[in-house]
Amino acid sequence: MESKIINGEEILTKLLEEIPGQVERLSEVREELLANAVLLGEIPSPTFGEEDRIRFVIDRFRENDLVGPTIDDCGNASALLPGSDGENTILVMAHADNVFDHETNHAMCVSSDRITGPGIADNAIGLSSILTLPTLLDSLGLKLKDDLLLLANVKSLGRGNLEGAHHFLETTQRPFRAGICVEGATQGRLSYSGLGALRCEISLRIPGDYDWNRFGASGAIAHLSRLVGRIMEIPVPREPKTSVVFGGLRCGSTYNTVPKRGSLRFEITSEADTVVTDLENQVRDLSEEFSLESGTEVKLEIVARRPNCGIPFSHPLVKTTRAIMDSLSITPKVDPSTGDLNAIVQAGHPGVTLGLTTAENLRDENESILLEPLFKGLAQLIALLRAIDEGLCDA
Amino acid sequence: MTDDTKSWLEQNTFHHSDFWDLRKLVEEKERKGLTISLCIPTLNEEKTIGKEVLILRSELMERYGLVDEFAVIDSGSDDRTREVASAYGADVYLAADILPDMGNKRGKGENLWKAIYQLKGDVICYVDADISNIHPRFVYGLVAPLIRCDEVKYVKAFYDRPLNYSSGLRPSGGGRVTEILIRPLFSLFYPELTNVIQPLSGEYAARREVLERIPFPIGYGVETAHLLDLYQEYGIEAFAQTDLDRRVHRNQTTNALGKMSFGILQTFLNRLRSHGRIDQLPDMETIYRQFEVEEGHYRQLTHKVVEEERPPMIEVEAYLARRKLSKQS
Repeated sequence: MESKIINGEEILTKLLEEIPGQVERLSEVREELLANAVLLGEIPSPTFGEEDRIRFVIDRFRENDLVGPTIDDCGNASALLPGSDGENTILVMAHADNVFDHETNHAMCVSSDRITGPGIADNAIGLSSILTLPTLLDSLGLKLKDDLLLLANVKSLGRGNLEGAHHFLETTQRPFRAGICVEGATQGRLSYSGLGALRCEISLRIPGDYDWNRFGASGAIAHLSRLVGRIMEIPVPREPKTSVVFGGLRCGSTYNTVPKRGSLRFEITSEADTVVTDLENQVRDLSEEFSLESGTEVKLEIVARRPNCGIPFSHPLVKTTRAIMDSLSITPKVDPSTGDLNAIVQAGHPGVTLGLTTAENLRDENESILLEPLFKGLAQLIALLRAIDEGLCDA
Repeated sequence: MTDDTKSWLEQNTFHHSDFWDLRKLVEEKERKGLTISLCIPTLNEEKTIGKEVLILRSELMERYGLVDEFAVIDSGSDDRTREVASAYGADVYLAADILPDMGNKRGKGENLWKAIYQLKGDVICYVDADISNIHPRFVYGLVAPLIRCDEVKYVKAFYDRPLNYSSGLRPSGGGRVTEILIRPLFSLFYPELTNVIQPLSGEYAARREVLERIPFPIGYGVETAHLLDLYQEYGIEAFAQTDLDRRVHRNQTTNALGKMSFGILQTFLNRLRSHGRIDQLPDMETIYRQFEVEEGHYRQLTHKVVEEERPPMIEVEAYLARRKLSKQS
């Protein structure tokens, strides 16, 4: 046992020593990586509308001679990069959808130090790193022992509710040694747990027989504002960490027409599932009460629900990731995920989410990524793959 | 539509998807021993040049060895065009530094002409720098007919210009200058050239052996001159055209188009003179030729347009009588 630990530490030390030299060599493959990112980024891929981008991904898998490129029933694209012995499989995944619709101008602008365009950070560059991974490994002369299963998963964001990732993990027969979710932003991100979350949409409608003469009568905007105020009055505990984030309010179309309907989107997250359930019940009661009081139709819809899950901070996968980040002078920002990592961990596999580079204006049409930090982010990903491959991250 | 026109359109009009298998295309290029140079002429294009160089170089030089040489020939940009192009691996030249003894003229045609001297390829493909939806098809769609068909010497691009999709039948034409100036002129003087769907498109590829034998207007008339000179020398069979789907680029003001038309008209009239047609105008054609496309098939539409004329009213007897006027001598 003692000799195995010493051996593992030696391997890790050697691996960490090699990382800084790899950053420069990885930048030599930047053309392929960035070209993939731009070509992916210019294909609109809203959640539930990822088909064109997935077709590009599967073509790239074929062009790179990966094994078994497949689009599954849910629309996910996957393929295998075989390892030298193939006893274990590591899952590397990036979501293929983004928040921009087909009508958005997806043209990317490439300058010397950055790429700008909708969804380039979230998650065209993340997905590009998966497509380019075989070339990146080749450029470093690396051949892993484990198989790498590369996955572009669909229906991840918003109402997608991680459907693609769940479907893939439920239907695939292969056990995974570990899973890595790759996100474009932000370098230093280290998620190893999934946060309990509830995404809700409240739709409010003023019925045709609404009594506009009664006290307090008003349009949908005023009603929704009051409703937001009432939800904010619900006590939210500090411990366990809990928050309510109002993410969207859609109502009205002009200056002087009273809107008759509107909707409110918000997310409840908490480190305790019981708190999430309790808040859900309170919001549900509040909605019914508000509906009766105001004479409006209020409907609460649960769009997505995720339980708390994760691996411990002391898990070798997390410890090794931190050591790798430290060797690259990347400051880890530990942040529970509400994304694809939840699906990996819920399926019983250890996993982490990593960010590759610095991003600006996330989820705006002028979203951009900086190119200079990108190769450090990739070196971190490859070092972690090597560590998993060497068995350094097994519990 | 005549049988010849139909036959040329069917045989020499391609869609870029006809050439999707780039591995095969590269094999054929290598078997024939062809080399291909790509040239992007620039003037202050820092916003789009980085992406063009990145995508085209990565896909067509690194991933597939279709392109052997990639050059940006710049007219003296005062923005960061040359720096950005160089950062993404293009060979960047200042037009003024090429053939300096021949002087330096400012215009896109100058860069295209100097590219023939500077670049080494058997085939030169020209792509404008202002395409915001750049894709490898903009190059392989143009060089592929030259690789596949030995008799083709010059390949023009044409694009989807969405005008009216309501019935599944849509006009498929060029821009405003093409439709208002070039197509009427070609319909009158060179009806066969109306088969070229977008004669002014800035993307084309040609064999060195023909490019080196034609003069190059340095300004707006370069595309028109190419068509007229090569048609005069080789006939319509030397041409092919490829549908590259959608091209997104800057829209030009009407004033800019007026200036462009003026330059093109000069070139056209010069060619009429050198082709010996200006002093002996032929009988005016009365058939105007346009295009429409339905389910991927291009069809020439012909309209008989006869510009009949009425005499001045003062010469009409009934008018004179009604106005109690006498006929003037």
